[in-house]
Amino acid sequence: MAAPEKLVLALPKGRILDEVMPLVRAAGIEPEAAFDDPKSRQLEFATNVPGLSIIRVRAFDAATFVAFGAAHMGVVGNDVLTEFNYADLYSPLDLKIGHCRLSLAMPVEEADDDPRAHSHIRVATKYPNLTRAYFAGLGVQAECIKLNGAMELAPSLGLSKRIVDLVSTGGTLKANGLKEVSVIADVSSRLVVNRPAFKTRPAALSHWIERFREAVGGAAA
Amino acid sequence: MTAPKDKMAGVQYARLALLPDGFRDTLAPAAEHEASVVRALVDVFQTYGYARVSPPLVEYEDSLIAGPGAAKTKAMFRLMDPDTQRVMAIRTDMTVQASRLAATRLADAPRPLRLAYAGSCLRVKGSQIRPARQFFQAGFELIGSTSLEAEVEALVLAVESLHAVGINELTVDLTLAPIIGVLAEQFKLEGDARDAAVGALDAKDIGALDLFDGAVRETFAGLISAAGTAAHALPRLEALSLKGHAGKLTARLARLVDAIQTRLPDVGITVDPCETHGFEYKTGIGFALFSRSARGELGRGGRYLVSAPDGSTEEAVGFSVYLDVLMAALPAPAQTDLVYVPYEAGHAAAAKLRSEGWRAIQGLTEEADPLKEARRLGCTHVLAGDKVVSV
Repeated sequence: MAAPEKLVLALPKGRILDEVMPLVRAAGIEPEAAFDDPKSRQLEFATNVPGLSIIRVRAFDAATFVAFGAAHMGVVGNDVLTEFNYADLYSPLDLKIGHCRLSLAMPVEEADDDPRAHSHIRVATKYPNLTRAYFAGLGVQAECIKLNGAMELAPSLGLSKRIVDLVSTGGTLKANGLKEVSVIADVSSRLVVNRPAFKTRPAALSHWIERFREAVGGAAA
Repeated sequence: MTAPKDKMAGVQYARLALLPDGFRDTLAPAAEHEASVVRALVDVFQTYGYARVSPPLVEYEDSLIAGPGAAKTKAMFRLMDPDTQRVMAIRTDMTVQASRLAATRLADAPRPLRLAYAGSCLRVKGSQIRPARQFFQAGFELIGSTSLEAEVEALVLAVESLHAVGINELTVDLTLAPIIGVLAEQFKLEGDARDAAVGALDAKDIGALDLFDGAVRETFAGLISAAGTAAHALPRLEALSLKGHAGKLTARLARLVDAIQTRLPDVGITVDPCETHGFEYKTGIGFALFSRSARGELGRGGRYLVSAPDGSTEEAVGFSVYLDVLMAALPAPAQTDLVYVPYEAGHAAAAKLRSEGWRAIQGLTEEADPLKEARRLGCTHVLAGDKVVSV
């Protein structure tokens, strides 16, 4: 028999990884030892499943790898999915991990105002598309300043009046004199698959979607 | 290759060479390869009796956004006709043009009408996955038949044309784009509820269906989980026992799967009942072709309605491929042989080689070392005496 065709699973680095690994293991995938070695500089890891390898990349990049078919499956938050809105990504399964929310925040000391009163507002965010769409829905033109981190600094230093960022406990907002004014989206991590891969290798991809579905069911029980 | 020598030359070089995003120069041998692939595709369409038509690159906006064009209005470049002061648009899809021909100039031509076409299209913005803004489209339309045999012919011909240009291991994905709208109407979903249902089905997000109850939730969740191989999907669709038009659509889908399995036994079949992306104007079964050798979708087609000037409509099925995607899936072409004929060998020698099927470059001046000159010009062979010798 020919060696099984290569299959790549893209996992996000950081906070979500600790939550996702129990599901990956419950689905029957065990990465090689280097995966858990913090000193390792390796980026792609073999697993106990022949032909299946894992790559560890930034959360935004996991979506990109899968959308372009460089990876076949991945774990991506729906914040990233809506921001990029790739047509070639399927998200068949909510993994029910990495819960947080994408929220609009403003300085505590400022009076609440109806955002619809503005014709234009400047917002610092990592999610310019989502933010623009949210404000467009309110009839407001949002000028988005793309930042990759430390959004909370923007209002106090006069970069923008509002920020749109991920919030889990609200601690960071509070520590920086900000308050959450509205929730734009509830976020959780999804299993995503590349559309062409799902069409040309339906058996292999469906197999893994089912394994993850069972793993999520098992974790909930 | 001559590299720009100093900074000024570099600026001048960039001014001449830089193209806008999404546009590219295609050089040899890729340009020739693409032309021969287009030729091969259209040749296969013509063996099935599809007559080639060639509509213009620009039309009045009104005719390009009619019928199936409605889904593409945002993608079109527009310009003003200085003469009539009317807005013109550059085509972004030739299907619309073929339907216009069927509804106007060819309205009285016998049905079913079979048209083939190939040409360049423009769009204002590429996608991140497929950045081309100018691309070559080749396809065919079968207009005026409601028979299931029309879908079968379109699929068989699509697969045969892709085989002819060297794409194998094909998979066809069947979609039922109109079914969401039909079911929303059956369940009397309107406004926000309808949008929420469509959004959930689009994203295949079963979780988002929690806000519906009973039959609505079960039916939509069933549709989402039906996506997969035909063997997986058909029993699940049947189990939903859909009524009315939705039931007719799924029954037709099952019959189409049967027919393809018989006619195209080597082609994998998947079914995705709630896929709508890019199938917006389809009024029946849609299909997309994939191959393991290609990263993305190779071509798509399906059933739609041609709208006539009097408001009536006509059933049609079509298929088209985009060459930018197709070429990326094909291996690079083998190098073509090219003979260098030294100046002193004479024109007759070159003419003789050409008549034998060679491509021959005639030297324009006498060269001391013809072999060296042949190599410099990238020829594979040189004429030495009366023999063609490999370099």
